[in-house]
Amino acid sequence: MADLAVEGRAVGERQEGFEPQVVGFLCNWCSYAGADLAGTSRLAYPTNLRVIRVMCSGRVDPEIMTEPFLHGADAVMVLGCHPGDCHYLSGNYQAEQRVRTVWMVLDHLGIDRGRLYLDWVSAAEGARFADMVSEFVERVKALGPAGGGPASKEGLSRDEFTFRAEVSRRVVAGERFRWLVGRNKALSEEGNVYGEKVSPEKAGALMQSVIADECVRAAIEVLAGEAPVSVRDIASRLGISAQIVLEQAAYLKRRGIIELYDVLGRSPRYVLAGARA
Amino acid sequence: MQASTVQPRIGVYVCHCGLNIAGVVDVVAVRESASSLDGVVIARDNKYTCSEVGQKTIADDIREFGLDRVVIASCSPRLHEKTFRALLEKCGMNPFLLEMANIREQCSWVHSGDSEAATEKAKALVRSAVARARLLTPLLRSEGRVVPKVMVVGGGVAGISAALYLGNMGIKTYLVERQPSIGGHMAMLDKTFPTLDCSLCILSPKMVEVAENENIEVLSYSEVEKVEGQVGDFRVQVRRKARYVDEDKCVGCGDCAAKCPVRVPDEFNRSMGERKAIYIPFPQAIPPAYVIDAEHCRYLTQGKCRVCEKVCERGAVVFDQTDRVETIEVGAIVVATGFQPYDASKKPQYGYGRYPNVITSLDFERIICADGPTHGKLKRPGDQATPKRIAFIQCVGSRDEHRLDGAGAYCSRVCCMITAKQAFMIKEKYPDSEVYVYYTDMRTAGKGFEEFYQRGRGEGIVFVRGKPGEVREEEDGSLRITSEDLDSGCILDLSFDMVVLAVGLAPPEGLVELAQRLNLSRSADGFLLEGHPKLRPFETSIDGIFLAGCVQFPKDIPDSVAQAGGAAAAAAATCSRQKIEMDPLGPVIDEDLCIGCRLCEMLCPYGAIKVEKTDRGYKARSIEVACKGCGVCGASCSARAITMKHYSNDQIVAQTKALLEVS
Repeated sequence: MADLAVEGRAVGERQEGFEPQVVGFLCNWCSYAGADLAGTSRLAYPTNLRVIRVMCSGRVDPEIMTEPFLHGADAVMVLGCHPGDCHYLSGNYQAEQRVRTVWMVLDHLGIDRGRLYLDWVSAAEGARFADMVSEFVERVKALGPAGGGPASKEGLSRDEFTFRAEVSRRVVAGERFRWLVGRNKALSEEGNVYGEKVSPEKAGALMQSVIADECVRAAIEVLAGEAPVSVRDIASRLGISAQIVLEQAAYLKRRGIIELYDVLGRSPRYVLAGARA
Repeated sequence: MQASTVQPRIGVYVCHCGLNIAGVVDVVAVRESASSLDGVVIARDNKYTCSEVGQKTIADDIREFGLDRVVIASCSPRLHEKTFRALLEKCGMNPFLLEMANIREQCSWVHSGDSEAATEKAKALVRSAVARARLLTPLLRSEGRVVPKVMVVGGGVAGISAALYLGNMGIKTYLVERQPSIGGHMAMLDKTFPTLDCSLCILSPKMVEVAENENIEVLSYSEVEKVEGQVGDFRVQVRRKARYVDEDKCVGCGDCAAKCPVRVPDEFNRSMGERKAIYIPFPQAIPPAYVIDAEHCRYLTQGKCRVCEKVCERGAVVFDQTDRVETIEVGAIVVATGFQPYDASKKPQYGYGRYPNVITSLDFERIICADGPTHGKLKRPGDQATPKRIAFIQCVGSRDEHRLDGAGAYCSRVCCMITAKQAFMIKEKYPDSEVYVYYTDMRTAGKGFEEFYQRGRGEGIVFVRGKPGEVREEEDGSLRITSEDLDSGCILDLSFDMVVLAVGLAPPEGLVELAQRLNLSRSADGFLLEGHPKLRPFETSIDGIFLAGCVQFPKDIPDSVAQAGGAAAAAAATCSRQKIEMDPLGPVIDEDLCIGCRLCEMLCPYGAIKVEKTDRGYKARSIEVACKGCGVCGASCSARAITMKHYSNDQIVAQTKALLEVS
């Protein structure tokens, strides 16, 4: 779907009057404490960031990373402890693993990955936190509003952005995606059940192909949930070949996720299973 | 985990915190906006919510309005969440039905330039807190046991003091020291400022007291390798390095060392003297037992010798000893691993390590000490001549704003007084000598410090304000310093026989690794981060782990001892509790959804979730006592069967939506 991306404006032009909405997920032990220290030290930074405290950056589910984009956020920050300093030993590695794969999903959907930011802040880095927020807000201003049409880097309309954000949320909530995210590193380091180690490149390619499939499936689900749609409708909406849509629609039908609604002319139309009632 | 369908009754309290919040945020507007939110029965703004009056208002409201959720918009939950949870409990409510909005540290204090935007942000934070509060569920704390024992890590004066306080309270205490003897840096000092007490004369009785205290077990030549568990119930793995000498049999007669053929530079004397491969670090060492330096022992390196074994009448030499790892259970830990002197060779402009007559303040302590390599006679290392003209250079490795060459930006606090003391001692022993001190500022804050410094000035010590750019060695071994005297504006070009670098105190070697093992944070200066800079100076962010001495920040001996007392009292308080209540933040697994994929089991850093065979197939089960509540399992569950208590997806999504609502 990335090829669908409308020509955006050049990056770097600042939007006058655009104040991005940024949601931050900060771990209790390091980054949240660092943010508190910025306060105690009276280090000013922009008001755009709104923080949600979690115990560990490893708690931040990929779904939680994408959810803010559905509700008007222009960007999301995930901040954890420095590598090796995680209060829960390895939660920050998990966070990194997840953000990297969510970036792949965003890339695939034509949403700029710069809208999802990952970094480490220790409890002693109040000044670093304040600088980080200031710089990030500037970078988001340069990207323009999420779904800001030609005023944004992606060039997506508000509706289109929200649609793609919803697709991304469904992809990252899916079993296949989540399993691969959890196993990705282990696949290349420890090997699979047969003891075969998968090269990082191969693991990346596998992830890429799963994301491609899952994006189409999720898009079909979203569209079939809105109104009865035909494969042709979906293909033209997504800007991809009808053959690809057909394959995935068949899969979803087999799994009982979508069902036939009617046949309009020679095109069968589908809806989300159970939606007819 | 479904929130009750009955409409919750929420009370919202917006704190002014004097003018800390109200000076920036329009608290009345925030309160008004909160009062219109779903489920909010009462919203108030208070001057100080944490005060007795503020707390009473909440308690009264809970009764009068039948509140079942409380939202407090004030300072960081890291500061007062405990306070308000306790209030809820006192009022008969479940403490987990509290939510806080941080409108001070993360709002008013950082947005003082834009009241309007700060007020809007505060409204959003309160909206988000209320949204989360609606979905909070009561939780029951689990209980953990308390092992009434303490481990003190580091056997310098801070660790020794902490161990003695604890031992004297009747608490079983393990004192872990990585060197063969306790004593730390204080044992290496000749005199202490400002009273000129003989350092070891006042420390040694304390060390003996440690050895004799039946509650204290000294684990010398040992290091902490791994720490598991939580407050009240830590399991610490300690590596007991092979000493090759049976501590109980050795009486310290020294026959072994007399016959040992291997000579090694003596680190206790800063390599200015020699010791044998079997040695006792210093005569007053505790434990008073010899140790074999495996790196240099002829038998252990070349397989031949064993002379020490032959001469030891008590058979205390045991070459088949090996390192062993012991697991020790304790309820609290005091970290007192001190500092290391700044490595002056990192400042090549001063020539330490290149010019033999440039020494550090710690080298000077050994030279001037009666037990030292020169038996207390002031002799310079280059040619053993007695120096007549001596210069001190202050702030080597301290107060370096660019933090070049591993130096600290901080003031090491003790170097001014150490130099004042050393200069005074030279003048006392050698009244004819000329002593110059090149300083940035003389900092003499402490009881009797300024008086002592002035006494030194009276003795004719010359204090020059200025930091020399370099020290040059002349052909005859003398040292030339050219520096501006900032007070007179003159350039001084002087020649000296010896230069003493007043090195700063740096975080000790291995502190990064130790901090990681203990899960402690370090501050920007590299020392360990205290719980609160003002009010929790010896606590840490980890319950049950306390700090004493220079590992927190450079300090002098009385301050280290005082902090050790505080840390010991806090550790004792932990150990006196019957049980520890632990926050129940673990996972709830929906077995209908769980597909037994084992992802959670593989990713849990604590082995706190296991997949077991049930009659409905393989299902994940949480092991509550091992769980620390990080949420990695919940965030990775492929079937989304795991809900984290108190941090559920539903709660976080509700917060997200509320934050982004257009008000």
